Amino acid sequence: MNPDLLQSMKRMADQPTSSNLDPFVFRAGTLCILCSVFCFITGVFDVSGKVAKKREARFETDVLPILLSHCSECHGRQLQEGGLDIRETSFLTKGGKSGPAITPGNPNDSLLIQRIREQEMPPREKLASHSVKPVGAGELKILEQWIAVGAPVTDKITENISEVIDEGIRTEDRNHWSFIPPQSIQFPHVDLTNKTGLLSNPIDVFIGDKLEKKSIWFSVAAEPETLLRRVYLDLTGLLPESDEIERFLSDQDPSRYSKLIDRLMSSPAYGERWGQFWLDLAGYSDSEGVQHADPIRPHAYRYRDYVIRAFNADKPYDRFLLEQIAGDELTDYEGSGQITEEIYDNLVATGFLRMSADGTFAGITGFLPNRLDVIDDQIRILSSSVMGLSIRCARCHSHKFDPIPQQDYYRLAAIFKGAMDEYDWLRPIKSSVGKARYLNQVLPKEREQWQRNEKEITTQIDLLNEEIEAHKKQEPSEEEKNETDPRIKEIEKTIKQLEANRRPEPLIRALWDRGQPSPTYLLKRGDYRRPTKIVTPGVPSMLTKGKSHFQPSPPWPGAKKTGNRLALAGWLTNPDHPLTARVIVNRLWKHHFGKGLVETLDDFGKAGASPSHPELLDWLARELIRSDWSLKHMHRLMVGSKTYRQSSTATTDEADPDNHLWSRMPLRRMEAEVLRDTLLQIAGRLNRRAYGQPDGISARKDGLVTSNQTNGSWRRSIYVIKRRTERLTLLDNFDRPRMSPNCIERAESNVATQALHLMNNKMIHELSQALSARVMKEVPESISNQIDWLFQTVFTRSPKASEKEDVIGTHLEIKEAWIKGGEKPEVALKKAMANICHAMMNAASFVYID
Amino acid sequence: MSFATSNTKISVRDDGLRKSNHHPFPRRGFFQQVGTGLLGTALADLWCRDLFGSELTHITPVSQDLTPKKSHFQPKARSIIHLFMNGGPSQMDLFDPKPYLDKHHGKSFFDKIAGEVESPQSAGALMRSPFQFSKHGQSGLWVSNALPHLAGCVDDLAVIRSMYTTNLTHEPALFKIHAGQEMPGLPTLGAWITYGLGSENQNLPAYIVLDDPRGMPVNRTQNWQAGYLPPLYQGTRFRSTGSPVLNLEQDFEEPNEITLAERQLIQSLDRLHQNKRRNHPQLSARIASYELAARMQLSASDALDLSSESEATKEMYGIGKEPTDSYGRRCLYARRLVERGVRMVQLFIDFQIWDNHTGLADGLKGACHRTDQPIAALLNDLKQRGLLDNTLVVWGGEFGRLPIAQLSGDKDEKNSGRDHNKNAMVTWMAGGGIRGGISHGATDELGMKAVEDRVSVEDFHATILHQLGLHHEDLFYMRNGLRERLTGVSDARVIKEILA
Repeated sequence: MNPDLLQSMKRMADQPTSSNLDPFVFRAGTLCILCSVFCFITGVFDVSGKVAKKREARFETDVLPILLSHCSECHGRQLQEGGLDIRETSFLTKGGKSGPAITPGNPNDSLLIQRIREQEMPPREKLASHSVKPVGAGELKILEQWIAVGAPVTDKITENISEVIDEGIRTEDRNHWSFIPPQSIQFPHVDLTNKTGLLSNPIDVFIGDKLEKKSIWFSVAAEPETLLRRVYLDLTGLLPESDEIERFLSDQDPSRYSKLIDRLMSSPAYGERWGQFWLDLAGYSDSEGVQHADPIRPHAYRYRDYVIRAFNADKPYDRFLLEQIAGDELTDYEGSGQITEEIYDNLVATGFLRMSADGTFAGITGFLPNRLDVIDDQIRILSSSVMGLSIRCARCHSHKFDPIPQQDYYRLAAIFKGAMDEYDWLRPIKSSVGKARYLNQVLPKEREQWQRNEKEITTQIDLLNEEIEAHKKQEPSEEEKNETDPRIKEIEKTIKQLEANRRPEPLIRALWDRGQPSPTYLLKRGDYRRPTKIVTPGVPSMLTKGKSHFQPSPPWPGAKKTGNRLALAGWLTNPDHPLTARVIVNRLWKHHFGKGLVETLDDFGKAGASPSHPELLDWLARELIRSDWSLKHMHRLMVGSKTYRQSSTATTDEADPDNHLWSRMPLRRMEAEVLRDTLLQIAGRLNRRAYGQPDGISARKDGLVTSNQTNGSWRRSIYVIKRRTERLTLLDNFDRPRMSPNCIERAESNVATQALHLMNNKMIHELSQALSARVMKEVPESISNQIDWLFQTVFTRSPKASEKEDVIGTHLEIKEAWIKGGEKPEVALKKAMANICHAMMNAASFVYID
Repeated sequence: MSFATSNTKISVRDDGLRKSNHHPFPRRGFFQQVGTGLLGTALADLWCRDLFGSELTHITPVSQDLTPKKSHFQPKARSIIHLFMNGGPSQMDLFDPKPYLDKHHGKSFFDKIAGEVESPQSAGALMRSPFQFSKHGQSGLWVSNALPHLAGCVDDLAVIRSMYTTNLTHEPALFKIHAGQEMPGLPTLGAWITYGLGSENQNLPAYIVLDDPRGMPVNRTQNWQAGYLPPLYQGTRFRSTGSPVLNLEQDFEEPNEITLAERQLIQSLDRLHQNKRRNHPQLSARIASYELAARMQLSASDALDLSSESEATKEMYGIGKEPTDSYGRRCLYARRLVERGVRMVQLFIDFQIWDNHTGLADGLKGACHRTDQPIAALLNDLKQRGLLDNTLVVWGGEFGRLPIAQLSGDKDEKNSGRDHNKNAMVTWMAGGGIRGGISHGATDELGMKAVEDRVSVEDFHATILHQLGLHHEDLFYMRNGLRERLTGVSDARVIKEILA
């Protein structure tokens, strides 16, 4: 049979209205289908039904995918209903309880064929719940044909990618700047004669060099308060409190700024700020999405906590990636006996690859293509966040701009196959069908605590049940006979309350290799119905020297794991990797300086932007590796530079109008979470409790979604539940991204709904009252001092004379108006102060960062 | 109507439009006098000058805004009203008569379509339509007696009988019809249109969603999200009762003069802030956004205030009587919003009334009763006011339904319904450069599958964009090194056959 015909047979598999419909049903439009069926019959089979000899169906590439698609849910790795496993020819010949599944040479006698023909298999009532489609007519023909010719076993495909030199990738393709490892750099010479201020570190040499070549120079140094505010918000996402401002300003130590940087980076707030940066890239979400029900992921928060802890601990970036990509292959968590913090972290970290929206918890959104989409999302997340490349085009065809042949996509899919196998799927939620993707290797302390809690509840309930029994045995009085005993009612109520205190078993939403991946097929045009050749694990060829560096080995002796992801992570974090270090330093740069050295953060390929300062980018990348991949070291360099410490006021507007050369700092709006957190902070309503289950949200009938408070305060936004269907309105209005599947770069929009929210929303109004109460308590005397305090607290600066005059005037005016409206003077004073606070929360000086 | 053809020429919309608006604010007047979307940088410049006086001699246009953008070519429609029919209306009971089903009613058919049935356990035999079809209008289009009012408008409709989609489950099918792909998190049609064209009325959101006060549709707000596009392009829900937009009105008590005094303080603080930072256009835009917010408060309430509408109009829409009141109001709001230059209005109806798995005869009739008269009134009203010519009206759901019965628990045939069908669905378009009185494409004899002139969801999107002057391949957003488009990588085709 020729391969194209075989393809068209496979394609027909999903065309229900094809060959076996009553012919009289169809007229116009179905002619072509009938034609193709006709050709197919004459072309492949002769009249007697015997198979033509062009190309026989092969088990591995033609038969197996059909069996896996339709049978493996119940007769595969997880389950062998009736004792039957369809994954190998020998299993089929051996068969199950009803006898051999196939009789080589005789399709009509084969149970497999009979059951499918009679539509007993796959069973109709299980189709929807098990996400299986009936076997199509074309597919059945292939099975019949294969059995008819004797069900031959073909040799397993043993293509070893590391030996294969990819055609179609030319040397010049591999010479694209970002595919070559960062080079060691010679510092340019910058002439500092007649220039103001000293350069702080090498960053300034590279930036200064380009400025000098344009005959311009850095802007003036930022005011100390401006810099303080900037670096606080950048590193912690919170504002300096007034005592911290004073401490900094009065510190005479010339190294006060570097001390400040260290102080900020050792605060837990740093991890909460930068953890969010990573969660955007990972596409973090506390719910599954896809279906209307949008089920909650009760265990996702562990990954969020892991990320925050990793940033706070300055976990080396290479280790951070290693754990997230292959944490399950780092330590033998099943054989080690004791679960250590390291093992726990390693497993939780793999949640990175479990974040995309996932409808496969339900039968009707859990079919093969749905599963492939989930895998695709994870490949996208990995490639866009870590590698700065778009690889997903290659799902359907070779990449148009970058030298990424289609098989490179499937090589990556094959790497993940040990853990994400569309033919052996782990569901996102435990259900009666199949297994779920949870591990129970939490820390012993947590498990014991949970067990104690459950046991205690059980003991109490048992006692109460005994009491009920005892009560029932007593002789009931006449009146009591017809009603339930009130005491029993009471006990039953207590039992219900106790039951409500039960907690779900602590579990980790993890990704782990299970050692027996199904084959990975290169899908023609990305169509799951058109598997072609088998592809083995490997990395994109353009990033190799034509031979893959991919050499997986079992992670520990006797491990039932492929080691594929471990090899991938090892390759990515190799110091010679051309992309990994560059991509992350470019992102850090973007977050500190407003835009990347490479503006296309997620595209370092040929269609992406070229670096504006290539030497600086490479120097930073090498410096990251030299510092043992310390992200805090990179922050220290960046925020410590003269470039960062300059003013946002343009002094050289003409020569660098768009600030491509960083002749000034950009002006930025607070990100959504920073805005909410600082509003809570200045109002004195920010609860700094860290970690654990996320705080809930409530949706008002009109659609306004707010976060739930505990005792009048709220936790930081990173601890508020992130559902896909219900999103916090405040954060939504200020551009908190939707994950699709992740977010590489946030928008910074400027629209009226933001103004409406800050002006009219009830919670903002309440926070302004809280701020007002705070200022009047902290600074009891004189409106002038109060305004000073407010400016320090909200804007991190003192008011200008004209501003102060303006504010005091308005305060008086509003106070009079409240009195005129019937308020007592003390109340009017408070209310007027709240109005001032409200205005300041709305002011650009608060929302924008210089 | 004429279009701006150069950077200096700004045309005036036809008088019929202007007369219906009496606005106290000169700014809105300004926006209502400018042309129909073919206004590029000229207007953006003018707008900035108008707002900030002559002090701003050059301003880098803030790209993420809602100022009117130049379309790719001359548009036929200025606005679009999308009447979204949640649940998947049945094609063979409304617009696509199938005598074959009458003839073979009761004949078993499941085996042939097993892979295409969402709930195989309840699948029954072929089922004829409980409704009667007849030809209507000069064009003689077939419409069933479930839609008596719309039957009077057929000469304005292009009925597409040969549409199909790719998934037969609500959620993914909704993502597909609204955002082009089966997955969550992507920009919806309205977001793309707003991104491409901006808005002609800066006092109202560009993309307004009128959802049913009785309940949110499946997928909730994801049906009008902006996905990876900046969130300002997402649909804004206008509620039918109370304050139309979230946070539009103060959610606390305060005398007006105090609010004004506070606002003045914000403004003077911000002006001072801005004066010290001359090179940052976003600060000017922010000050403008506060001014716009204040004006929006009045415009939005005004747009939904039906007191100026005549009794005859209200009656025509079925307002004030059941079961048409709720949907009738939303249809009338839609006309008023389009009149005010809103780019896209999208109507939803509670949960999924067209999802007639059981009791199709009553259920479908009920859905028609609620919507038929209001929709016909909307078409007639738009036409009377000369608005239909530049307003594209689109009707349809997320998929179609099967020719076989879906049996209810009691297996009583009278309570039968129809299960989902991705291979055939029916939609129609009207106005906005669409040829009326035609039907396009055909399904097989059963109505099981679109077979002739098949129309994909991508073709459907490309056609809508085309009428608005946008080419689906040129409307893109750079992301991860790729030009992301509503129609993705498919070869979408504008359905030229239904264009006037």
